[in-house]
Amino acid sequence: MSEVPDNLSYTKEHEWASLQDDGNVKVGITDHAQDALSDVVFVELPDIGSEFSKGDSMAVAESVKAASDIYAPVSGKISSVNTKLEESPELINESPYDFGWMVVIEPTGKLEGLLDSNSYREIID
Amino acid sequence: MSLNQTPLFGHHETHGAKIVDFAGWEMPIQYSGILSEHKSVRKNVGIFDVSHMGQIFVEGKDTVAFLSYVTTWDMKRQKEGDCRYCHILNNDGTIIDDTIVYTLSDEKYMLVPNASTTNKIYDWLLSHANDFDVSIDNLSKDYFCLALQGPQAPRLLGQHLNTTVGSFQLVKLGETVVSGTGYTGEKGCEIIGPIDEVVGHWEALVEMGAEPIGLGARDTLRLEKGYLLSGQDFTGTQTTLETGYSWVIDWNHEFIGKNALLKMRESNYLKLRGILIEDRGIIRPGNSVFYKGEKISSLTSGTLSPSIRKGIGLAYLDLDFEELVTVEVRGNHLNGRVVRMPFL
Repeated sequence: MSEVPDNLSYTKEHEWASLQDDGNVKVGITDHAQDALSDVVFVELPDIGSEFSKGDSMAVAESVKAASDIYAPVSGKISSVNTKLEESPELINESPYDFGWMVVIEPTGKLEGLLDSNSYREIID
Repeated sequence: MSLNQTPLFGHHETHGAKIVDFAGWEMPIQYSGILSEHKSVRKNVGIFDVSHMGQIFVEGKDTVAFLSYVTTWDMKRQKEGDCRYCHILNNDGTIIDDTIVYTLSDEKYMLVPNASTTNKIYDWLLSHANDFDVSIDNLSKDYFCLALQGPQAPRLLGQHLNTTVGSFQLVKLGETVVSGTGYTGEKGCEIIGPIDEVVGHWEALVEMGAEPIGLGARDTLRLEKGYLLSGQDFTGTQTTLETGYSWVIDWNHEFIGKNALLKMRESNYLKLRGILIEDRGIIRPGNSVFYKGEKISSLTSGTLSPSIRKGIGLAYLDLDFEELVTVEVRGNHLNGRVVRMPFL
């Protein structure tokens, strides 16, 4: 049974988004996604300062068998990336909601149109 | 179309396997994870359900002559108890499939072709058997195949069946055949026997410590050793010479495809080469290969090597070893070089 924390927002494509105190949005992939992907062995992260619209592919997480696009849950500019993932991509499997975070976006719009934990649970059940 | 299942399907599911469609079979792609399964085989011992592989029996007084004619190897060189890896070719020298040939006796042989080509090979053998006194039976549905692979495999085999087997040798235990073969480059064996006995073998070997291994790790294990994958590294248009497996040819006998190969041998042709990636990133089948900025080929195989933690791949190239190439992954060019196989 996958973990779905109540305090996060979710996309249908299995990203989570977390509104920070400074207004930025931290993004990663869900426990369900990391389990489906299995051992993450490579992560391609965007450049800091690059801009994406909501729904754009902004990063890639790869297992031995498959590559999976990570889509921007909100439009904005990348303000930081989790460089630890370059050496330790397995953090995504071990700690998808914490040490395995992928990027922080400085949003240009509101964080809206995402799923709450209950709605996301319904998708993956 | 409904998919085939081996008798171990229920076992795979209860052991948490992720299941995929492979050549018309529902097979486990992975259990605990490709990386840990890969490591288990390299360091300890793993067990693979490869019951989707074919078993074709050829019997009769012309068996040796017939199989010498339809494969790249001269079966006169085989003794009872020998196994041999060889190719089955079209008239134009292109590979229909690769197979291991088992010499069960002077007049009875078994072939183990790939799942997706077993019916094609069976039809091909039948259509070339008119002038030979042989009977050919496709008994693939009646036999299981388990591969026990890894440094600890010989110990488990001894414990389980009280036997040992040399490399490319076979021992017969009633209707069951144990051969010193595999697809991982590790010590080990493959066990082929009546399908209703597979669950007993599987449970006993898992109980003894063999870790169940899926097709995902099977692919990374074979690619590190440069072994060919039927339907991927050869797809019906490449010859044995182009795959770089000319050692499977005995030139001193007549066989289907020989004339075409002799002609090709005098010409310049592309060869399947290993590519080792130096940059971070994962290469995959179909990725384009560039040399001096120009696209020259595509990868037939590609993955991250779990053992050396680098991208490894295969492509048909007209380049010498150590030449520098790039492989394009999502618009980025990863630096690599042409290397001798095996990678590991």
